[in-house]
Amino acid sequence: MKIVVCIKQVPETNDVTIDPVTHNLDRRGLAGVMNPFDKNAIELALHLKDTASEDVQVALLTMGPDDYAESLREGMAMGADAGYLLSDRAFAGADTLATGYVIAQALKKIGDADLILFGRQAVDADTGQVGPIVAEFLHQPQITYAASLRLSGKNEVTAERLLEDTKQTLVAQLPAVVSVRSELNTPRYPTPRNIQLSFDKPLTVWHHDDLDLDDSRLGQAGSPTIVTKVYAPKPVKRELTPLTGTPSEAASQLITALKSRQLI
Amino acid sequence: MSKPELWVIAERRLDHIEPTTQQLITKAKHLAGDAFHTVVILFEANNDHLEDELTAYGPDEIRIVRDDRFPTATDAEHADALEQLVHKYQPNSILFGATITGRSIAPRLQAKLQTGLTADCLDLRFDDETLVATKPSYGDNIMCEIICPDHRPQMATVRPNTFVAETTPGEATVTTETIIFHPVARLQVKAATPVVNTATTVGDATRVVALGRGAAGAATIDTATKLAEKLGGRIGVSRPLTDQERFTHDDQIGQSGNTIHPELILNFGISGAVQYLVGMQGSQTIVAVNADKDAPIFDVADYGYVGDASAFMSALLDQFV
Ligand SMILES: Cc1cc2nc3c(=O)[nH]c(=O)nc-3n(C[C@H](O)[C@H](O)[C@H](O)COP(=O)(O)OP(=O)(O)OC[C@H]3O[C@@H](n4cnc5c(N)ncnc54)[C@H](O)[C@@H]3O)c2cc1C
Ligand SMILES: Nc1ncnc2c1ncn2[C@@H]1O[C@H](COP(=O)(O)O)[C@@H](O)[C@H]1O
Repeated sequence: MKIVVCIKQVPETNDVTIDPVTHNLDRRGLAGVMNPFDKNAIELALHLKDTASEDVQVALLTMGPDDYAESLREGMAMGADAGYLLSDRAFAGADTLATGYVIAQALKKIGDADLILFGRQAVDADTGQVGPIVAEFLHQPQITYAASLRLSGKNEVTAERLLEDTKQTLVAQLPAVVSVRSELNTPRYPTPRNIQLSFDKPLTVWHHDDLDLDDSRLGQAGSPTIVTKVYAPKPVKRELTPLTGTPSEAASQLITALKSRQLI
Repeated sequence: MSKPELWVIAERRLDHIEPTTQQLITKAKHLAGDAFHTVVILFEANNDHLEDELTAYGPDEIRIVRDDRFPTATDAEHADALEQLVHKYQPNSILFGATITGRSIAPRLQAKLQTGLTADCLDLRFDDETLVATKPSYGDNIMCEIICPDHRPQMATVRPNTFVAETTPGEATVTTETIIFHPVARLQVKAATPVVNTATTVGDATRVVALGRGAAGAATIDTATKLAEKLGGRIGVSRPLTDQERFTHDDQIGQSGNTIHPELILNFGISGAVQYLVGMQGSQTIVAVNADKDAPIFDVADYGYVGDASAFMSALLDQFV
C-alpha cells in the first residue's frame, strides 16, 4: 500500500505585521515550520504503516521553495519513507487552484497512491481547499475533516466525519483523498534513531520540466484570485460610558442603562 | 438584459436548514440591491419542503432540485449537480457557508469550474460586478481583500454567524430545476446521526456573560451562572478558561471558538486580545469590567467599569429582583 501525505511549510508564528511603508506582509526573520495540522496527516499514515498487515510505504509531497525540504526531513524523521519537493520559480505566487494543479500532476507522476492525505488547513492562509481541489483533478472520492479512519477491507477505508451537529460514517474504496481533523491523533516526535535514519531516505526534487504541465495553469498566471489589499484588522472603537463609584453604585448605573436600552 | 445572478447555496443539517444559509440570504439581498437577482439553490428529496424555512428571508428566487439521493449525497455528487446548474445559468457569484460541508463542496466545484474561491470570508462587497471578499489570514492577525477579476463565477465561503439573518416581507419565486444525478460509486455515506447537544450553544444565546482569566474563581463562576440565568443567557469564556473542567471548546468565544452576535454581552476579567475581539465585537451592547483601566476590551465597550470583576458581578446580581 502506498500513502502520500501532502504537507506545507508555514511561518513559525502567526504574529506577522504589515510593513507601514510597502503595506506588504513583513515576514522578515520568520523561520519556517511544518504546518502543524499536516503532522496529524503524517501520524495517521504512520499509524496505518505500524498496524496494517500489509507493507505500507509513506511518501511526503510538498510544493514550495527549497527550504521546504526541512519539513520533508522532519516528516521523514517522524518515520515517513521518502520525500518529494516540487520547486520551481514558475510555481511561485500560486493560489489554491494553481497549487492543487501542480500537486495533482506530481501525484500522477508518482503513480498509484492508494491514499492521499492532507491536513485540515494550512495555518497561514486557512483555506483547506487544496485537498478537495486535488481530489477533483484526480477524479477521486474525498473524505474531508476525517475524525477517525481505519482500513476496513481490501482497498477500503471507513471514516467518521464530524459535521457541525451530525456525525457521518463514510466508506471509500481506494484510491481516495482524505483530509484529517487535528483531534484525530497526537503526532509523534522524531526519535534520535529516526532522525539519523532520515538522512539516508530519498528526497526527490522535481522542477518544472520534470512534470507534465500546462504553463497557463501555473503560478500567478494560473491563479484566478488576486490579493488587492492586506491590512491589520482594527477593532471598531465605540463610545465608552464609564460606570463609576463603588461596585454597587456602578451596578445600579448599568441597570438603568440596560433598562433604557430595553435589554432588561 | 437580465440581471446577473448571485447565488446562495442552501445547506441542510439532517432535517433542517443550517442557519448560515439564512444569514447569507440576508447579506446577498443587501449586496444585490437592484443590480443582481438573488437565487437560493436548494437540493432536497422529493418529499422535503426545506424551502419553507427560506421564503421568509426574501431571496428573489428559490431554485429547487429534487432527488431522493441528495440528503446523503457526497461532496463530489453535490459539486457535480452544481456544475450542471452553473453551466446552465452562468451565475456571477456563488456564496457558501464556511461550514465543514461548504468548505468541502466549494473547492471541489472550484476545481471543476477552474475559477477563484475565497475561503472563510468575514465581509463581502461588490465593486460593479466584481466581488470583493475580505478574508482573515495568519490566524486573523491580517485581513486580505481578494478579487477574482477574470473568471466567473466568483466564489466565496463565509464564516458562520458573520451576518445576521433578517426576515423580510415580499415573495420569493419558487422554481424547480432538473439535473442528471451522477452517483459516485466509490464513496458511500453509511450513516448520519445527530450529535446530541443538550444545552444551547453560546452562539445561539442573545445574552452572554463572558468570563476571562480575571474572573476564573469557582465562586465567581457560580455568581456568573446565576447572573446568566437571570438574564436568560449563557456563559461564554475566553480561551484560558477552556482549560477548566467546567468549560469546553464549545463555550469559547473568539477566532478559534465561536463568533457571536448577542444583544448583550458582559465581559468580566477579559483583556480583549484581538483573537477574542473578532469573535464578539459584533455584539449589540458590550459591557466590560476589568481591573486594568488600559485593557483593550474597553476600546470596544459601550459601558465600562474599572474594578474587581467578582465584586461588580455580585453587586449586579443583588440588584436584580
Ligand atoms: C492563533 C490564536 C488563536 C486564539 N484564539 C482565541 C479565541 O478564540 N478566544 C480567546 O479568548 N482567545 C484566543 N486566543 C488567546 C488570546 O490571544 C488571549 O491570550 C486570550 O483571549 C486572553 O484571555 P483573557 O483575556 O481571559 O486573559 P488575560 O489576557 O490574562 O486577561 C485577564 C484580564 O483580567 C483582568 N483582571 C485580572 N484580575 C481581575 C479582577 N479581579 N477583576 C477584574 N479584572 C481582572 C486583567 O486586568 C486582564 O485584563 C488565541 C491566540 C492565538 C495565538
Ligand atoms: N504547497 C503545498 N504543498 C503541499 N501540500 C500543500 C501545499 N499547500 C497546502 N497543502 C496541503 O493542503 C492542506 C490544506 O491547505 P490550504 O488549502 O492551503 O489550507 C494542507 O494542510 C496541506 O496538507
